[in-house]
Amino acid sequence: MNGRKKKITLAKKHNLTGWAFLVPATLLIVVMSFLPMIKAFVLSLKTGIGVTMKWAGFLNYIRMFKDTVFMQALKNNFIYLIIQVPIMLILALILASMLNNKDLKFKGFFRTAIFLPCATSLVSYAIIFRSLFAVDGLVNTILIKFGFLHTGYNFLGHATSARIIIIIALIWRWTGYNMVFYLSGLQNIDYSVYEAAKIDGASPFQTFWKITAPLLKPTILLTTIMSTNGTLQLFDESVNLTNGGPANATITMSHYIYNTSFKYVPNFGYSAAMSYLILILVAVLAFVQMRVGDKRD
Amino acid sequence: MKKKLLCAVLTVAMVSSMLAGCGSTNKTESTDTSKSTEAEGSSADNNTLTVWCWDPAFNMNAMEKAEAIYQKENPDFKLNIVETPWEDVQTKLTTAATSGQLDTLPDILLMQDNAFQKNVISYPDAFTDLTGSAVDYTQFAEGKTGFSTVDGKNYGVPFDNGAVIACYRTDILEQAGYSIDDFTDITFSDYLEKGKVVLEKTGKPLLSCIAGESDVIVMMLQSAGGSFFDESGKANIVNNDILKEVMTTYQKMVEAGVLVEVNDWDQYIATINNGTVASAVNGCWIMASVQGAQDQAGKWDITNMPRLDSAATATNYANQGGSSWAVTSNCKNVDLATDFLSKTFAGSTELYDQILETGAVATYLPAGDSDAYGKTNDFFSGKPVYSKIVEYAGKIPACGTGVYFYEARDAVATAITNIIGGSDINTELQTAEDTVNFTMGQ
Amino acid sequence: MTNKKNNSVTLKMRKRVRSAGRYTFLSIISLLSIFPLYYMACAATNMSVDVIRGKLIPGTYVIENFKNLLAAQNVASAMFNSFKYATICTLVSLVICSLAGYGFEIYHDKAKDTIFSVLLLAMMVPFAATMIPLFQMFSSANLLNTTMGFILPSISTPFLIMMFRQSARSFPHDLIEAARIDGVTEVGIFFKMFFPTMKSTYAAAMTITFMNAWNNYLWPKVIMMDDKSITMPMLIANLTSGYTTDYGSLMLGVFMCTIPTVIVFFVLQKSFANGITGAVKG
Repeated sequence: MNGRKKKITLAKKHNLTGWAFLVPATLLIVVMSFLPMIKAFVLSLKTGIGVTMKWAGFLNYIRMFKDTVFMQALKNNFIYLIIQVPIMLILALILASMLNNKDLKFKGFFRTAIFLPCATSLVSYAIIFRSLFAVDGLVNTILIKFGFLHTGYNFLGHATSARIIIIIALIWRWTGYNMVFYLSGLQNIDYSVYEAAKIDGASPFQTFWKITAPLLKPTILLTTIMSTNGTLQLFDESVNLTNGGPANATITMSHYIYNTSFKYVPNFGYSAAMSYLILILVAVLAFVQMRVGDKRD
Repeated sequence: MKKKLLCAVLTVAMVSSMLAGCGSTNKTESTDTSKSTEAEGSSADNNTLTVWCWDPAFNMNAMEKAEAIYQKENPDFKLNIVETPWEDVQTKLTTAATSGQLDTLPDILLMQDNAFQKNVISYPDAFTDLTGSAVDYTQFAEGKTGFSTVDGKNYGVPFDNGAVIACYRTDILEQAGYSIDDFTDITFSDYLEKGKVVLEKTGKPLLSCIAGESDVIVMMLQSAGGSFFDESGKANIVNNDILKEVMTTYQKMVEAGVLVEVNDWDQYIATINNGTVASAVNGCWIMASVQGAQDQAGKWDITNMPRLDSAATATNYANQGGSSWAVTSNCKNVDLATDFLSKTFAGSTELYDQILETGAVATYLPAGDSDAYGKTNDFFSGKPVYSKIVEYAGKIPACGTGVYFYEARDAVATAITNIIGGSDINTELQTAEDTVNFTMGQ
Repeated sequence: MTNKKNNSVTLKMRKRVRSAGRYTFLSIISLLSIFPLYYMACAATNMSVDVIRGKLIPGTYVIENFKNLLAAQNVASAMFNSFKYATICTLVSLVICSLAGYGFEIYHDKAKDTIFSVLLLAMMVPFAATMIPLFQMFSSANLLNTTMGFILPSISTPFLIMMFRQSARSFPHDLIEAARIDGVTEVGIFFKMFFPTMKSTYAAAMTITFMNAWNNYLWPKVIMMDDKSITMPMLIANLTSGYTTDYGSLMLGVFMCTIPTVIVFFVLQKSFANGITGAVKG
């Protein structure tokens, strides 16, 4: 009897400690994010120019589906999401497992080099990418030299190639970033598991799919949700690489929201409503991902 | 047991002390900054004005010179100039005005002319009406003051000139058998025909511009006094004959290879500095970038831009860029601010003489008569370029940007991209007008 | 053993080919990744007009670029501010978020899992939408131009909490139970056991948080209204704002803005990926 009672109180105590652990972070998020988000939601029910706003109910939410530019942006975001995120995450996973090899020489150099792109300032990264793919840029020069092209192709001037360049740029910039999570996740896997697999004669490919990937599942879930979120809120590349062009072929939702807030005649009600659509989209995708990936064994 | 309870208490204590720790640093810092907030929001002190502007070599330098000039009469006067890029001025202004925190604004800020009407109409409470103040608006060209005028009220003091100039590489023109005179007072069809010859003989296109930015289109449109909007403020795109002529002219130039589109500003400057193109048509501030290539000194010359062929109102003059000073509603000392501006930017030829070497050409008309403006420039074939620019500035037709200028500009940029890609001009212009109407109908 | 010799030779060969392939692959990827840094370094030593003309060989103009940069901008102050903001932000947010991530995982129950999912929503709205209400709060609280103002919105992020929550999953529960039986307090378990064993997660989180804080741009550009408070990214924006850009000093500035994060990464990478033993022995 006595023992059982003690156990219950112990569990309760642990529970309380758990709450104490997460209260500061939770409070900060409530104040710094949820409060402004509630205000933004109220704003999304209003419409008007600048400070003269009036109630509009859900009109903004209907309006965005009639907005051809915004619909184009939505489509672009999903193209990036579907193509770029899987390629990037798989590449990051492969690189991380290669760079986790203790026999590899120059590990520090390779890791730092691959991480470098995301530390690179946006200004220089944009200038470099644009000049590489310019009509008289390095890429065209090479393609012409090897006879693939006769004259320079305006990569950023055509819808499909401009999108491909954004995807390449995203992979280039964020693979090393995701690799960091995998590398750190790999540290929590006992190396002896690999040794055992080696003795059993497993190929590196088998080791990767049978051991590494399953054990990294929590980290893979983390990076998937973060990348989904990051891609649907993509802003930098659209603004700095292509400026949304040609003819809105690469513009993203966040870029358009920024325009309607700060470049055009400001309509914050409409901007807030479009922002909430992003929230809904990411939340649904993240929910599905959590359902699939967040199981405790 | 007790230990664990203690432990839980400790956790809470630790966490709260940490938060309190943050709180207390926060307190000390905020007292510390309440002083500086006054210094960088508008100035409370009677003799100091806070100014937001950008570009140390250009606008900020001009403000510093103006401060020095005003200090001669008012030795206690001081400016607190905070370097703020234009994008940030816009973001800060929008944020402050939308959240009702107008007291975070400075006394004076610099505003791009194209954004002036938009901001005044969106945030009427954020600006001070300067009509009837010490600033004498008759000393400025109407084409310039128009940018900062809303409903007949003037909200800005004009600053730098954006008169469009056409810079030509005379050595390239020579190879094709032309001189600068062959490109002076011409029409766009002349420009196109001569451009074809230049392209054929030298392999160089005449002109470059940035794809997706409709700067060239706006210049062409405004050179004939055209606008994206009619007088009542409605979008005027489909049935706008001037715009249609601009679009077809632009399309022809691209198709002939006379106008080459690049993807960004750096590449645009590169086409000029590398000698890939034979001319640059832009606001007169482009001279500073053109002069970056010192090895091309003496090979450039300046004249006016081509004009449209059929538009009845066509001229060889337009405006591109330029900015004006605005006094915010947060300014506690409006008299001081207007007196300062009227005695410097709207009243001192000395100021404009001093800043001329940075490439800041005055819109203040009396400044153009000074000797400094008559000076010749060896880079541009030893011509007196500044007096030319002032002369051009006086001939720019007045045209309204309209509140929805940026929306219209982007919509037309989309249209021209598609037209060059082979779409029908009327359909594309219709789409552009629909897009603009959509944004306006909120 | 001896009759397998042939077999082992081919195995060795195969191994060698495989390792050569691996080095080639990694070298190519590294080269592609390093190219922009090389470009920046070259551009920082060339005249603006040469940068524009695409010169890719180091030049001799670096001292002039440096002088121009110092003349135009207060680099020392921006560097100091960026360091101050980024370091404080990183340290505070590591403590707060790792506590929360640990709490969410180790003491997980239905309620905490639900709260965690709700917290995730906080990162899904573009910052542009919440910026204005946030500015209103900070302006009223007199937090403009302060370190506090800079770091407060980015201390507690769902992303970091989730990162610690996910890695706490591989922290063995029997270890905790054993410690409890030994009479170690809950807080003690966190600091004495979780913290040291999760060094790799902390190092990775530190790298990422430092980088994010260092590169943070939109928020400081709204709340910093004072020449004294500007950060490196704001300084770079200043350099590109004029009618004419001096690309030489711009690239030097960009280079100086990139290097600190790279150094932080290089120093920490050994701790988050030493590649030898699994940190946790079950």
